[in-house]
Amino acid sequence: MRTGPSQEEIRRQNLGALLRHVHLRGAMSRAELTTALGLNRSTIGALTADLASAGLVSEAIPKQRGRGAGRPSLVVRPESARVHAWAFSIEVDRLQAARIGLGGVVLDRRELGRPRGLVAAETAPLLAGALKEMRRAVPPGTIGVGAGIAVCGMVRREDGLVRLSPHAGWVNEPIGATLATELGADTPVVVANVADVCAFAEHARGAAAGCDNVIYLYGDVGVGAGIIAGGRRLTGHGGYGGEVGHMVVNRHGSPCECGSRGCWETEIGEYALLKAADRPEAFGREAVLAVFDAADRGDARAQTAVRQVGDWLGFGVGNLVNLFNPEMVIFGGTMRDLYLAAAAQVRSRLNSVALSACLEHVRLRTPQLGNDAALIGAAELAFERLLADPLDAS
Amino acid sequence: MSETPLLELRGVDKSFGPVQVLRDVDFAVYPGEVTALVGDNGAGKSTLVKCISGIYGTDAGEFFFEGRPVTINGPRDAAGLGIDVVYQDLALCDNLDIVQNMFLGRERRSGLVLDEPTMEELAARTLAELSVRTIGSLRQHVSSLSGGQRQTVAIAKAVLWNSRLVILDEPMAALGVAQTAQVLELVRRLADNGLAVVLISHNMNDVFAVSDRIATLYLGQMVAQVRTTDVTHAQVVELITSGRSDSLGANGRNDGGRRRNGTVGGLE
Repeated sequence: MRTGPSQEEIRRQNLGALLRHVHLRGAMSRAELTTALGLNRSTIGALTADLASAGLVSEAIPKQRGRGAGRPSLVVRPESARVHAWAFSIEVDRLQAARIGLGGVVLDRRELGRPRGLVAAETAPLLAGALKEMRRAVPPGTIGVGAGIAVCGMVRREDGLVRLSPHAGWVNEPIGATLATELGADTPVVVANVADVCAFAEHARGAAAGCDNVIYLYGDVGVGAGIIAGGRRLTGHGGYGGEVGHMVVNRHGSPCECGSRGCWETEIGEYALLKAADRPEAFGREAVLAVFDAADRGDARAQTAVRQVGDWLGFGVGNLVNLFNPEMVIFGGTMRDLYLAAAAQVRSRLNSVALSACLEHVRLRTPQLGNDAALIGAAELAFERLLADPLDAS
Repeated sequence: MSETPLLELRGVDKSFGPVQVLRDVDFAVYPGEVTALVGDNGAGKSTLVKCISGIYGTDAGEFFFEGRPVTINGPRDAAGLGIDVVYQDLALCDNLDIVQNMFLGRERRSGLVLDEPTMEELAARTLAELSVRTIGSLRQHVSSLSGGQRQTVAIAKAVLWNSRLVILDEPMAALGVAQTAQVLELVRRLADNGLAVVLISHNMNDVFAVSDRIATLYLGQMVAQVRTTDVTHAQVVELITSGRSDSLGANGRNDGGRRRNGTVGGLE
């Protein structure tokens, strides 16, 4: 016979819910927490006392007195400076490392350029170097909850092995394990695909907060999607789902680095745009932005390229809208710039290929967290364990 | 999305002497949405905006604010309803800093002196709510800002004063690609924060990037008000240049965008 949850389980659940609330929404009074979580005042008081004694939150009398009579409600705020996670992001053109405090505050960060084709064995020491530097600045008495790594590549869920990162030339690289040895054996490390991580971040505290069906389209050389369906991340059996860049959209298209032909990213990725703009020698984000700039200044070749690639973007998004019926599609990475530069083509094509029922409530947005989404999302992954069980994990 | 328009105009006429500039114009804007107002030069966009903001009176027509009939007899009435227009020239003072500009004429005081800390905090909070990350110090003079940053300050000023309807007249004109992108995101965020936004633009790309509805004026008449999900670029261009679009149905009139036309889509 199954009995109900134990007292201990309920308490853990409530502690997690309270901590998650101030982590995502920021400082708020006990009174607001009482309303938001549907718990009574004394429970909230006991929970915050527990979290405060573990050093996860602090309480203070608000600076400005409210208009109501009586003692003002104490404000509970996350201990952003004391509780932190390490976040890493391995993108095509750059490496980022950051120390991010509870509440999503970036406390310290480093950015390194990344030569194309750098293998994991060479990447890990670079990130470890940035980590060592930042570690020196960490004040004593802080709590590290772990590390999260966002990688542009396919990541096996169970152990964080990067199975394939076609544009970086990686196959089966244990980047998580390599960094874990640098971090110390007791530090938990979570690795995930960059599009999934960005989707997670925007869903938690960005443009898609409160939306349960979201597609985050991330573009650099390749294109991937982080998909949130029914409020949960959709990553598939092994964790490899969301590789929308390899949807085959053009049977007679160009060969793709994955070995197939006519994949979506061969029509909307960096190479496609640069090739269409007649700049086959150029590469990188700057080169892509230069095409948008040229188009804006009236360069006919660049304008045609932007329109053509924008049209293909609309094609794929239309298919995704029909498949997942999202309430929001977010264009991240270079897809942001492409969307904003070619919105007329994207939407015209989307409006004509998507089913009207799937289309009627979809909102097209750019990331609210900007280029920080990968780092913030990686930290969110690391914070998950703490939020699930605040007193045990810390 | 809300079904009651924040502001609705019905049957607005406006003439300058013998020239009739607006003819029986219906126009509705909704909270939380960006309504793009498009039309060729001389179609009546600016006149319509000036009627809404109380600079011009109207010859005929009714105004409804949140469903209640209202009269707008001057800019003061419009401001009282929370209608704010950000013009192309932005009306910022180059010799003042960002905070001073945002509070110009409405400075906070504490006793005899200005309450600078509170004003700075409020300005910073407003910019943070709009996710503005492109401005370094709030105490730099506006003269040192780029075009996009100036636009940002002008828009943030409207938000700070609790405007409910912000009308932006060609905010992306004369901006480069990166700054246009930032202003577009800002326009979108205004609406996502619950304001009603009217965006006047000639650039179809900007219109499609952020709008929820597109209202098209042609020779002083509102020929279509449609949802952005219901039209293609080619159809909107057709509406602007000829006042009709065959693929949109009979003379393009679309009942304030509420009724969905079955024929739209798949045509280019």
